[in-house]
Amino acid sequence: MRRALGVVLAAALVAGVALFVQRPDPVDAQGGGTVEVTVTYNGAPVVEKLKVNKDTEKCGTEAVIEKVVVGGNKGLANAVVSVPTAKGAPKMAKATVDQHGCKFVPHVTAMTPGDLELKNSDDILHNIHTYSTANPSINKAQPKFKKVMMEKFEKPEIIKLTCDVHSWMLGWVAVLPTPFFAVSDASGAAKIENVPAGKQTVEVWHETLGKQTKEVDVKAGQVVKVGFEMKK
Amino acid sequence: MRAIVLVGALASAVFLFASASPAGAQAGDAQAGRAVYERKCALCHGEKGDGKGPGADLLDPRPRDFTTGIYKIRTTVNKTPTDRDLFDVITRGMPGTFMPAWDVLPEKDRWNLVAYLKAFAADKFKEAPKKQELPKEVADLFDVITRGMPGTFMPAWDVLPEKDRWNLVAYLKAFAADKFKEAPKKQELPKEVASSPESIRRGKEMYEAIECNKCHGAEGRADGPSRPELKDEWGHPIRPANLTKRWTFRGGGGRAEIAMRLTTGVLGTPMPSFIDSVEKPDDIWHLANYLASLGPESPHYATLLTAEAVNGDIPADPVAEFWKRMAPQNIPLVGQVTIDPRNFNPSIDMVALRAAWNDKEVAFHVTWDDPTQSGADAAKKASPDVVSLQFPQKVAEGADRPYFLMGGDADAVYLLRWENGKGATEASANGPTRIVPLAGGEVTGQAAYANGQYRLVLKRPLVSKGPDRPTFQPAVFLPIAFQAWDGGAGETGAKMSLTSWYYLRLEEPQSSRRFVVPPVVAILTFAAMLLVVRVANRRA
Repeated sequence: MRRALGVVLAAALVAGVALFVQRPDPVDAQGGGTVEVTVTYNGAPVVEKLKVNKDTEKCGTEAVIEKVVVGGNKGLANAVVSVPTAKGAPKMAKATVDQHGCKFVPHVTAMTPGDLELKNSDDILHNIHTYSTANPSINKAQPKFKKVMMEKFEKPEIIKLTCDVHSWMLGWVAVLPTPFFAVSDASGAAKIENVPAGKQTVEVWHETLGKQTKEVDVKAGQVVKVGFEMKK
Repeated sequence: MRAIVLVGALASAVFLFASASPAGAQAGDAQAGRAVYERKCALCHGEKGDGKGPGADLLDPRPRDFTTGIYKIRTTVNKTPTDRDLFDVITRGMPGTFMPAWDVLPEKDRWNLVAYLKAFAADKFKEAPKKQELPKEVADLFDVITRGMPGTFMPAWDVLPEKDRWNLVAYLKAFAADKFKEAPKKQELPKEVASSPESIRRGKEMYEAIECNKCHGAEGRADGPSRPELKDEWGHPIRPANLTKRWTFRGGGGRAEIAMRLTTGVLGTPMPSFIDSVEKPDDIWHLANYLASLGPESPHYATLLTAEAVNGDIPADPVAEFWKRMAPQNIPLVGQVTIDPRNFNPSIDMVALRAAWNDKEVAFHVTWDDPTQSGADAAKKASPDVVSLQFPQKVAEGADRPYFLMGGDADAVYLLRWENGKGATEASANGPTRIVPLAGGEVTGQAAYANGQYRLVLKRPLVSKGPDRPTFQPAVFLPIAFQAWDGGAGETGAKMSLTSWYYLRLEEPQSSRRFVVPPVVAILTFAAMLLVVRVANRRA
C-alpha cells in the first residue's frame, strides 16, 4: 500500500517536472528575426579617477569610474538595447551583479522583472543602496560573510546601484518590460535574437547619454541592422 | 522504503512542534500547582481560592477571588485570559498592589499554578481565549512630530494639540500620496534578548564582523574611514551618528529603538537595514545591547564644576590612570550664532572636564569627540583643532563677568588655549577676532588623540604672572567658559562651538577632622544611651 503511494507520488513529481520543462517556448523561433544594433559615440570617453584610502587590499589604491566607455570604431559600451514593443514571457536566466574589487560587475545589468542575485566576492562590507521610484528603494548591508543576497524588482525601470561604504561604486540595473534586450559590448555591438516579426521599436539607453529610439521592420529568419549615434 | 518512513516521522515531528501552544505557553499540572499555591498564595488568596485568606482583610486592593474567573489583565477579546496572561501576572506581579513578582519561583511551578488557578473556575475556562488584535499602529509620523529629531533642528512639537498633530500627519502624507497607497506593514523584531555581558560581547563581535566601524569608527565616535564620502539621497553630505551619544539618535536611544533602526535601516541615508545581514536574527539585539553599552542614554550635564585638591604631583599625561579615576563633568556646547560667521551645525557638542590642583599648580583635563584630527595647513587652507578655556582676567567678589563671547571692548578675558600642532598658549581677548597672545606664561599642554577623541591636560601655576592673568584660589566661585573648534569641519575664527559662563570651584583639601569627629559623636551617643537604659532599669 505504502509502496504504491510512493510510486504515485514519484509519478506525480516526474509529471510535474516534465510539464514545467516542456512548457512551450514563449517565442516562436520560426516567426522571429534578429536585430543587430551598433551604438556609437563621437565624443571622448569619460573616466573619473579617485584616490582610495581604505580597503586598499580589496579595492586597490585608485578607483576608476567609467561613465562613458568608447571602444574601437567609436563603439559605445554599456548601452542597454531593447525592443519594448515586443512582448514575451520573462527570461528564465537569473540576473546577477557581483561586487568585486569594489566595483559592480557588470557595470550595467539588464533583466526582466523578478529576482536579482547580488554577490559579494570582496570579503569586506558593502551595502546595496538602490535609487528607484517604481520599485521600493533598498538599502541593505551585505557584510563579508553574506556572500549572496536576492532582491526582487517587480516593476520596469532603470535603477541606480550605489554603495555608501565605497562612494565611487556605481552600477545600473535596467529592469525591462520585454525579454528582448542586450547590453552593448566594448565595440558597441548588441544582438537580440528571436524578435517577433513586424514593426518594432528599438530603444537604446545609456547612463549619461540618455535614450534614443528607432522603428525597424523585423522579418522572420532575417537579420535587421540598426545603428545609433548617441549624443551628449 | 525506510527513507519514506523516516521522512514521515520527521514531518510529523515538525508538525507536532509547530502546533505547540503559541507564545511559549506550557501546560501546567494543577495538582503540582496546588502544593505551590498552598505554600505561597493561600495566605492572601485563601485555600479555596475565594480571595479570603487570613491576610486578605489587611490588603487594599483586596486579593483576587479566583472562583469568579474574572481577571483584570488579559489580551483576549472574550473574558477568558490566556495561560500566558496568567503566567505573566504571576511572574511580574501587579505593580502598585501587594501582589509581588513571583519570578523567584521556577518557571515550571508558575505554569502549574496557572493550571491550578484555572481549576477554581473551570467552567469559565471552557471557552477558548480569543486573542485581541490591536488597531493597526501608524504612529511613526505622529511620534516624530511629537518627539522631534534629537540632534537636529527639528524640535519636539508636543506643544501642539494632539488633534493638530494628527491633522499634520494627514497633510504630510498628501505630499507623497502615491507612496502612502500601500498600507504600512509593521516590522516585527526578533524576540528580545536582555542585556548581559555575553550579549554585549557577541554584539561587539558582530559590530566588527559587519564592519559598523566603516562609518561609525572603531569605538563608535563617528570617525570611520567612509565618513567624508557619506551623502544622503539628495546628495547632501551627512554625518554618521556618534554611537557613544545615544541622546542624539534621531529615532531615540532606547534598546528597542536601536534594534528597530538596525532592522529597518534609516531611509534616505547611508544607514542600511541589517536584519538580513547578521548571522542570526538574535544578533540585532546583541548589537543593540552592545551599542547601548557604549554610552549613557542621557548625558548628565554638570552644573557647578569642581577641581579636586591633590597632595603631590598631578600627571601631565592625559591618558594617566589618575585622570580615569576622576568622574567626568560634562558640559554641553552649542554653535556660535551671535556674530558672523555663524555655526549652525557645530561639530563639537560636549566637553568633559576633570580638574585638579595642588599647592603649586592647577590642571585641567579636557575630553572631547572630534571625528577628524586636523592641524593648520596653509597650502590646503585647513584649520587646526582648537579648544580654549576662558576666565575673567581678575577674580573679584561680586564683579560683573566679561561678555561671555570671548570678552567685550572694555572687559577682556583670559584664555588658556590649546591648538593641534602648536600646543598650549595663553591669550587675552576682547572678542573672537581680537585675540592677543600673552608672553612669558608657564602654561603647558599635552594631548592624545585616538579613535575620534581628544584628551588634553593643560597646566598652569596657581599664582598669576602679570596683570592679564587670574590667580586661582581655593573655595572661590571662579567663572569659566569653553570654546572648541573642529578644524576638519571648517571651524575657525568666530565659527566655533561654545558655552556661556559656568563656575569652577577649587575644592579645599578635606581635613582629617572628618575621620575623628563622627566616631567621637557616635561613641558619646552610645554612652548616653547606655546611661539612659541603666537609669531606667534601676528605676524599674
